[in-house]
Amino acid sequence: MAFASLDAYVHGSSIIHRWRPALKLVSLLLLMFAFATVHQLVLLPAMVGVTALLYGFSGLPLSFLRHRLSYPGLFILAVVVLLPLTAGDTVLWQWGWITLRKEGIEAMVLVVCRFVSILTIGFILLGTTPFLTIIQTMRSLGLPVILADMTLLAYRYLYEIADTLSTMQQAMRLRGFGSSKQRWFRFNLRIVQQLATLTGSLLIRSYEQSERVYKAMRLRGYGYGAHPAVMGSPQQSRDAQGWGLTGIVVAVAAGFVITEIGLSVL
Amino acid sequence: MHIPDGILPAQVCAAGYGVTGLATWYSLRQINRKPDPTAEIPKASLLTAAFFVASSIYIPIPPTSVHLILNGLLGVVLGYFAFPAILIGLFFQALVIGHGGLTTLGVNAAMMGIPALLGYHIFQLRLSLGKGLPERVATALFAFLGGSLGLGIAALIFLTLVITTIPADFDAGAERSAIMTLSLGHIPLMVLEGVFTAMLVLFLQRAKPELLEG
Repeated sequence: MAFASLDAYVHGSSIIHRWRPALKLVSLLLLMFAFATVHQLVLLPAMVGVTALLYGFSGLPLSFLRHRLSYPGLFILAVVVLLPLTAGDTVLWQWGWITLRKEGIEAMVLVVCRFVSILTIGFILLGTTPFLTIIQTMRSLGLPVILADMTLLAYRYLYEIADTLSTMQQAMRLRGFGSSKQRWFRFNLRIVQQLATLTGSLLIRSYEQSERVYKAMRLRGYGYGAHPAVMGSPQQSRDAQGWGLTGIVVAVAAGFVITEIGLSVL
Repeated sequence: MHIPDGILPAQVCAAGYGVTGLATWYSLRQINRKPDPTAEIPKASLLTAAFFVASSIYIPIPPTSVHLILNGLLGVVLGYFAFPAILIGLFFQALVIGHGGLTTLGVNAAMMGIPALLGYHIFQLRLSLGKGLPERVATALFAFLGGSLGLGIAALIFLTLVITTIPADFDAGAERSAIMTLSLGHIPLMVLEGVFTAMLVLFLQRAKPELLEG
């Protein structure tokens, strides 16, 4: 699955890669939220500029961003494509019943810039930090034990269960599923029944596997003692470069929020 | 039916995280009241992964196909574990396919997770309100209601949030009618989700009834 492509560049040596995970997580999340506050169009070039600068520092290839943005990009396009034609009163151009409106175009530009910037910052975070490190960092920041355990276990078995489903679907196809012609817009209850049984079988297989996993975990002591505390390595506390980067990113995030408030009051 | 990054203002994203925090706290409190909460963690985790994988199954309705949300079904099968499971599933979806987003994770989790908890409570009503009905009928009926209302409420929250917070000058009347029209358009999907949930729950009741003990 796509986790592999997400972890493909996590072992780089850029300043973002070396940034202490806890500081990186908090700083970049703050920046993403600061970007979500932006409503003033005048702030958009600065927002895109900061994003491009951070992406450049991360050393991640552009192909990674292009690949990651393609699917969500189509989704956001479907959401905003009608805005210039439907929202607002100021008509910029008209041809028959097709009307381009100023407020709609502004809203579309705002949403697309925010979307690309926030998502890119997210990909910088996820593309430069191994998934397990992110969970460990979240645990050190107070993520409840149950949530951390569930996330790690679900992540561990995701690939296996995806393979199981793929094998089951192949077996269904080999027995003739999906080969008969269907009429358009015709709801076939038999197919729904077959897919419900497929999903149910997948749940049962996963449940039975979970019983074996639990017994194995129990034999290794799971549930008998307190969870070990999550500690950082000693050299992380002397990470002056990481603290400096954190200060800059947090200041930039605060700058966006303060400027946004200032401009909206004016 | 995920709200992506960049659409919602920061206040709504923060409120979403607040609601999700509360719902997670409530769910974990209920889970910790169980005699041995750790015993159920592997089961809930693997079923979370299975639901995540199963969400890629499409129902063909030529010339197109629809994919199911399964949040009501998650509530029916996982009980109070449904909310953490949805939170984790959405986190994976944001990472794996960029579906949803990290700033909107709280909003999306609340939008799908709270109806899932409602789905669980609706399904539990079969033990009290469904007493007079034959067991299979009561199971199918309350599974249908849990599945369809899980999707229906999530769709209503989704449409309300997207239409009322999109940064453009729609007038209030147009917003109301858009929400109403699009909500009505989801009724066939609610029926499909309900039928699928009922069929799956009847299958589980026959093949592995302990999975429905929630």
